[in-house]
Amino acid sequence: MSKRKGKDTHLPIGECITQAQQILRERFCQRKLPDRPEGVEAQHRRLLELLRRTAIHGESNSVLIVGPRGAGKTTLLRCVLRELLEDKDVQKNLLQVHLNGLLQTDDRIALKEITRQLQLENVVGDKGSFAENLAFLLEALKKGDRSSSRPVLFVLDEFDLFAHHKNQTLLYNLFDVSQSAQAPVAVVGLTCRLDVLELLEKRVKSRFSHRQIHLLSSLTFPQYLERVRAQLSLPDHFPDPNFAQEWNADVKTLCEDKSVEEVLQRHFNSSKDFRSLHTLLVRLTGISPLVAVGSTRVIEHPVWNNPFQLPCLCRVSVSKPSIRPADLLDASRLCLADAKANMLHGLSILELCLVIAMKHLHDVYEGEPFNLQMVHNGTPTHLKEEGGGGEKERGFFSCFFCRTRLPRLEFKKFLQRKSNSMYNFEQPVVMKAFEHLQQLELIRPVDGSSAKTQREYQLMRLMLDHSQIMEALQKYPQCPTDVKQWAMSAFA
Amino acid sequence: PRNAMPSIPSRALPARQPANVLEEARTRLHVSSVPESLPCREQEFQDIYSFVESKIIDGTGGCMYISGVPGTGKTATVHEVMRCLQHAADMDEVPPFCFIEINGMKMTDPHQAYVQILQKLTGQKATADHAAALLEKRFSNPAPRKETRVRLVDGLDLLWTRKQNVMYNLFDWPTRRHARLVVLTIANTMDLPERIMINRVASRLGLTRMSFQPYGFKQLQQIITSRLNRLKAFEEDALQLVSRKVAALSGDARRCLDICRRATEICELSASDPSALGLVGMSHVMEALNEMFSSAYISAIKCASTQEQLFLRAVIAEFRRLGLEEATFQQVFVQHQALCRVEGLPPVSMSEGLSLCQRLGACRLLLLESSRLGILQRVRLNVSQDDVLFALKAD
Repeated sequence: MSKRKGKDTHLPIGECITQAQQILRERFCQRKLPDRPEGVEAQHRRLLELLRRTAIHGESNSVLIVGPRGAGKTTLLRCVLRELLEDKDVQKNLLQVHLNGLLQTDDRIALKEITRQLQLENVVGDKGSFAENLAFLLEALKKGDRSSSRPVLFVLDEFDLFAHHKNQTLLYNLFDVSQSAQAPVAVVGLTCRLDVLELLEKRVKSRFSHRQIHLLSSLTFPQYLERVRAQLSLPDHFPDPNFAQEWNADVKTLCEDKSVEEVLQRHFNSSKDFRSLHTLLVRLTGISPLVAVGSTRVIEHPVWNNPFQLPCLCRVSVSKPSIRPADLLDASRLCLADAKANMLHGLSILELCLVIAMKHLHDVYEGEPFNLQMVHNGTPTHLKEEGGGGEKERGFFSCFFCRTRLPRLEFKKFLQRKSNSMYNFEQPVVMKAFEHLQQLELIRPVDGSSAKTQREYQLMRLMLDHSQIMEALQKYPQCPTDVKQWAMSAFA
Repeated sequence: PRNAMPSIPSRALPARQPANVLEEARTRLHVSSVPESLPCREQEFQDIYSFVESKIIDGTGGCMYISGVPGTGKTATVHEVMRCLQHAADMDEVPPFCFIEINGMKMTDPHQAYVQILQKLTGQKATADHAAALLEKRFSNPAPRKETRVRLVDGLDLLWTRKQNVMYNLFDWPTRRHARLVVLTIANTMDLPERIMINRVASRLGLTRMSFQPYGFKQLQQIITSRLNRLKAFEEDALQLVSRKVAALSGDARRCLDICRRATEICELSASDPSALGLVGMSHVMEALNEMFSSAYISAIKCASTQEQLFLRAVIAEFRRLGLEEATFQQVFVQHQALCRVEGLPPVSMSEGLSLCQRLGACRLLLLESSRLGILQRVRLNVSQDDVLFALKAD
């Protein structure tokens, strides 16, 4: 610290860190465009050529950009548009219409939005139904022609949702305009579904030009490492060059660290996309995500759904102005933690005991659903109820099965055997705990109709895996030994 | 401006004209530049022409049903017939007539058909019910001097309503004595009248039917050649390859033109020297064909991350164990953990496994149930097992 201050820096250290955080925040949270798209040069050139031909020659086109979530579809499109609009001719001519399948949930809304974005609303006015709006728009597009009217670029984000609209009217009409001698349009769809063409009706499909641009990442691990380094580095135009230099050197040594490499390899193995990388880096650099609420895609980052972890996120601070390998390991541990196991840590002993009883029932009956009665008493009530008539034989067999094996497992017998009055709860208390488990969705009713059956007899399924329960039990703070033993007890 | 119509503003600079041979070819090959006369549809043209002409000359009405898969030139042929008849009417060879076109796909509701017809006949605006009443009156009352109206109804299957009154009216009006109405209807399926129409509608549609066959490879080749019109941009073999491929798959002329257009782009890109552009050859066409017809599933699997590939492997392993094509996530996950151990990778947590599964589900390599079911959700493959194994083995 003192050494750093001793140098002739232009800015105080706190200011530098704020600046650095600002830059990184823009990069990770506000989706600042990179200077040039990485790893997708061929796709970039192809899309740019296509849109340029629409803008300059008035050629109508349609194209789909397909790639998994977080592969950089929107970034690619925005980069292309940025480059395209640098041309003065294009800038003066091109009209843009941006639609999103999540916002424009039906054609009526989409049409209103198109009218608004084309600034035709003062002509159309608020008169006119959906049908008239459509007629107006089609008429407007029909009156245009290739050489004289301004080209329109339609960008359909979440394209596959548009295919679920009634009759696919909007898609048909857009593609039809692109295939007939009307105003020049370019229809660009963005989607993550590989089977998107199978969603289209056949006359819509026939009118689509079948150009698809696939964004699949062919990233190798060294490239990934390099990208992490580049993402964390500060740019050359940073106000305090000394700080930037030191920071970048720190980042370089960080990326060469063996343990860091191991952690990053693990993340790379799990997913190659940049968004999950950003999630890790956001945690790492301690950017308070709440600042980024202005950006559009905030909700998608899993970090932002957990405000309780914010305080421990602010890792880079004045007292520690660099990222250390330990920080990365911590951040990675947070990212990779199992959500259900974390929830189990927060349960009470009674609830944990119920979970264990359910696990035993699950083992014995090989995944058959259970109800509270079985968990609590071990009386297989559902077998008794259906015991009459033709079911007798099966009922007998099952009961026989229960009598020999079940009494050793379930909750009440556990208490009797242990003769431990500490956990001897009343039935309503157990019921309450059971309901709490249901609210946490650790157990789930088999069929949705809960109104018909009484709560004690409603059949449930456990939504946890063995490994999760055992792991949580190991880490549970001050878990009573007999509960642990009961959970471990193998039965034969 | 009560009756102002919206329009797209005109551009500041005029569009640039094509500069070289390939650009010129691309302009001509665009689907929107429909040629004056359609090659390979002479017979159909003749049939429709004589049908409409005879009705116009006799002053009677009638219906015709035209079917065929998309991209076989139905609408274009009818438009050409109308152009020719209009020309003939201008030359006083046939009595004057007027032509109205409606399209089921361009309407929000079947009943809008009335509104559009009325508006195109008289320019009057009305609600659907009122328009129906006005049209009814118009067609049933005799008027002193009436010209024949030809009406083209595209996308007939979308005019279907539960009571089928729109279709009924459309086909009933031509049978009126004073209507002098010729109705041409276009749809994709050949057996549409038998399938969805009730008897009184189907009987009014009559038996004058015509079906457009998908183009054969010779026809497709002829279409492209006629569009290029002696412009030397393509090698002969390349054209033949495109038309044979398309004819084998669908016989859709639009597809054929799109592929040729894409091939010219590829050719332009691959030419090192922009002044010396070569012809579009086999290699360019092959590349365009691959781009447009190949499925992306295999390359998507190849590009997936290690754990995602492992998950797909686990899915197949579980299917083999169960002998079924469906398994719960929990079952697959057990296999996944075992595979992780075999491969020497650190085991993944359940949450991470679920997110792997969701990612594969989002790009439709897997078909999943709703994610609320958590580990109980069932997993199916959307690709064949052979494809997955091929993609995973190839490297």
